[in-house]
Amino acid sequence: MNNEKMIARMKELCSAPEPEGKRVFFSSLRERDLPLGQPAVMSHREFLTGQLSYIQKRIWILSGFLMLFIIWGCSRSAGNYPFALTPLLAGGMLMETGRSRRWKMDELEYASRFSLRSIVLARMFTVGLADTAGLLMVIIVVRPYLTYSLFRIFLYMMVPFLTASFLGSLYERKKRRDGGLGSLAICILSSVAFAAAPLFSGCLYEERLTIIWTIGFIFLAVGFTGSMRGYIREMEEPVWN
Amino acid sequence: MELKADRVTKQYKNKIAVDRMSFTLTKGVTGLLGANGAGKTTLMRLLSGILLPTSGGVSYDGMDVGAEEYRDILGYLPQDFGCYPEFSGRDFLLYMSAAKGIQKRDALRKTEELIELVGLGDAARKKVRAYSGGMKQRLGIAQALLNDPQVLIMDEPTAGLDPQERIRFRNLIAGIGKNRIVLLSTHIVSDLELIADRLMIMKEGRLMWQGDRAACESDLEAFYISVINEEKHGV
Repeated sequence: MNNEKMIARMKELCSAPEPEGKRVFFSSLRERDLPLGQPAVMSHREFLTGQLSYIQKRIWILSGFLMLFIIWGCSRSAGNYPFALTPLLAGGMLMETGRSRRWKMDELEYASRFSLRSIVLARMFTVGLADTAGLLMVIIVVRPYLTYSLFRIFLYMMVPFLTASFLGSLYERKKRRDGGLGSLAICILSSVAFAAAPLFSGCLYEERLTIIWTIGFIFLAVGFTGSMRGYIREMEEPVWN
Repeated sequence: MELKADRVTKQYKNKIAVDRMSFTLTKGVTGLLGANGAGKTTLMRLLSGILLPTSGGVSYDGMDVGAEEYRDILGYLPQDFGCYPEFSGRDFLLYMSAAKGIQKRDALRKTEELIELVGLGDAARKKVRAYSGGMKQRLGIAQALLNDPQVLIMDEPTAGLDPQERIRFRNLIAGIGKNRIVLLSTHIVSDLELIADRLMIMKEGRLMWQGDRAACESDLEAFYISVINEEKHGV
């Protein structure tokens, strides 16, 4: 008998029996009003929705205002300048991501049941998802005002947004206790850079460069995802000292 | 119910903050004494599952302290903590309840109960940033108790408390420690004189002495100094 067969045979012989009468036992506890172990605790979904109320209101207000401003700019034939406003949206997400460390709540959150990682992920996911969904809606709304295809508008909106998100996430990882001004500065600089870019390269928004924008989008999306994974992984053993 | 450290070591580059410490904590109040820089905070973080040891391990009834189930029964007060600027004391406790996974109804009840217990009833709706050091510390103590923890780890809990608050804290901990594992770290010997059932003394990352409070000399401060200075090993 080779090893694999022996292991399979041993598993068969040594497997634990199916629990019998478990439901009957638990229902008898209920009938007798006895406690069923630990008191009810939040599910992950309840936790995620609960975190919504803890995201700063000014982030929602500023993001909403910015999106409306982008739509207004596009409808007023403001050229490609409205695209350069999307990096400012990333500011909210970056501020929320580094909020625990910034306000020295990280150690307390780390020792709580849901842990710092879940809390940061919940915030990042909520704000990031809201920003992305908002931008997608903006893209659809501004489409009639622009001569570009839907795909190109998507690229022109998402590449500046991801540039600020990626660079900001790298900065947040390096400067843990920074007051958030660094991330905001990165968002503003990215915005200025994209607004000024056509002055240096007039062909930037030409159709033939769509492939460059697509490669840029993929690079930034992968880079941002990797950076955030690293950020989350660092929370498994924060270096406090 | 036991919290067990087995040859636990934490090294930061070329500094060993905690050096092969082994002990078992059971029900009751254990005081951790040591000078500043002795490694108390690192040990507390290792026992709370916040830091991973470089070698060795910490377990609670056989469960690794990195597990969510452990954090569910853990109450932890760090030496230094902040608070989101928009939070009032009550908001802070409700937020920490959510992070601890406590259902809203229970969280509201527990928050009100603890606000009264730590004497913050009048300041509960004030912003935490307006709190004094002592008020903030009491709020920290309250958050550690939100989930009725079986293991309570408090790093310098009496820092910033006035004499009256210190007495109130001592009585609170003495009550809690009867059927829970409580570990308090301090460098103020008198904080432990009346409430600690057991003591551990640390110096430069090493456990110099551990044992029952009754086994120490009546003058705890003199005993502590003699252990630290003479490197009397009782481990």
